[in-house]
Amino acid sequence: MPPIVLSVLFYLLATMLIVMALIVVTSANVFHSAIALTCTLAVSAGLFALLGADFLAVGQLLVYVGGVMIIMLFVVMLSQKPQRAPRSGSNGQWIAGLALAGVIGGYLVVLYRQYFSGVTKMGTMMPTSVSIGRLLMNEMLIPFEAVSLVLLVALVGAVVFGQDGKADAS
Amino acid sequence: VNLELGPLLHQFFEAGRNWAVAHGMPPWGARLLSLTIQTNIVVWMVPLVPLILVYMERKVSASMQARIGPNRTGPFGLLQTLADGVKLMFKADIVPDGADRWLHLIAPIVVAVPAFVCFAPLPMGKSLVPVDMDIGILFIFAVSGVSTIGILIAGWASSNKYSMLGGLRGAAQLVSYEIPRLLSVVPAVMFYRSQSLRVIAEAQQTRIFDYLPKWFIFYPFGFISFILFLICSVAETNRVPFDIPEAESELVAGFHTEFSGFKFSLFFLAEYAYVFVAAAMTVAIFLGGGDGITFPQGITVSWIWFLLKTFVIIFIFMWFRWTYPRLRVDRLMQFCWQFLLPLSFVNIFLTAGWILWRG
Repeated sequence: MPPIVLSVLFYLLATMLIVMALIVVTSANVFHSAIALTCTLAVSAGLFALLGADFLAVGQLLVYVGGVMIIMLFVVMLSQKPQRAPRSGSNGQWIAGLALAGVIGGYLVVLYRQYFSGVTKMGTMMPTSVSIGRLLMNEMLIPFEAVSLVLLVALVGAVVFGQDGKADAS
Repeated sequence: VNLELGPLLHQFFEAGRNWAVAHGMPPWGARLLSLTIQTNIVVWMVPLVPLILVYMERKVSASMQARIGPNRTGPFGLLQTLADGVKLMFKADIVPDGADRWLHLIAPIVVAVPAFVCFAPLPMGKSLVPVDMDIGILFIFAVSGVSTIGILIAGWASSNKYSMLGGLRGAAQLVSYEIPRLLSVVPAVMFYRSQSLRVIAEAQQTRIFDYLPKWFIFYPFGFISFILFLICSVAETNRVPFDIPEAESELVAGFHTEFSGFKFSLFFLAEYAYVFVAAAMTVAIFLGGGDGITFPQGITVSWIWFLLKTFVIIFIFMWFRWTYPRLRVDRLMQFCWQFLLPLSFVNIFLTAGWILWRG
């Protein structure tokens, strides 16, 4: 496929990504924000696919859209009333938030310029799951297991904090 | 006469593309056009599936309850589903007063679109795979997970307590059963060393003593996987005995209570499309895909075998639906987390042991 098609696809996805990300922070309705965040994560999976990282794209969809966001939507649904969703994010912290976002954004640009300038392989869908599996089971085994341990600790901690006093007493 | 559809279609599209290029179309344009037409074939196949399955469900349920079923519209009532579809198209689209209009519109689309995409990696016969993906199994799981978001949106956007409860229950059930369902496929992935549905299906097309099919279901761990996958698939497609999200005696119709007309038909379409996808996945992973039972290859073509086996599995789904009572919502979760999940882990270890022992 010619590069023009890929460029068009990229700019389409990037525009969607930015619009959705803006809705996440500007929407007054928390549920709308959550849905926009879901879209943002799904579109970034599309960007991964455009870069030829098929496993990463599918993993992004499976973990974030199919897992994390569903739990987040659960929280919103159980804590809000659909008819009159309260206004959110109308306090005076937006200046600090903007400054922080600017710093992180600038830092990401610097990082990208320094380390990722050569990585522009687009449009070739090579199978990547085999190499990812080898990497996870050989060189990256210790970090991989360490991350699993941290996540397990977080999980157990969440269960402990989530228990109410009555369950402890019995 | 060779009736294998795969090579035939390949030749047809090759010829068409070459003709277009010869008549002055740029090669990439011809390729794009050819891919667009092929995608459209797959996409238009998807609405056909519910059309057939709903008729089949009605006839199967009728015969299980000693009724006749649809028999007035067309020969043997064959046009009944088509008539229903036309009726649903022209029905008024009712949006409740307190509803979130935009999300009410988006919800059925978010549920239905992934169902179409899920048909892409299904190997429906010899070289008849719409998109032969290296990670086909994972792709289906990931994309069908997006539908769960749609169910939650539907539950929220209706601003109705039944919808809300139905949406919450539905999402909880789908997320829970997705885990043992994914884990029940892991033995097949380990055994055949691929996540591509085509590779797994083709690896099973050998014979024991030149006669018995060597499908994954005939291994002990394969059989456990098959049972696990079947149970979880019934739960994932929201069918009885796991139809908690739309338990009509408790929740009216669950998350799609407030949807009518075309929006409702999209939910309906997605449900039946997922039934077909689940059955087709079962056939590809456990029953050898387009492999024939006793005939040597070539007498009966692979896509017919594939469809035949898929419809047998769909019949089993329907059989479950019309013979089992519904589970209670807490029992449903208990069954998933305390029985299916540990069993699927044990099964993975069994498979690993077998692979280590056999080398």
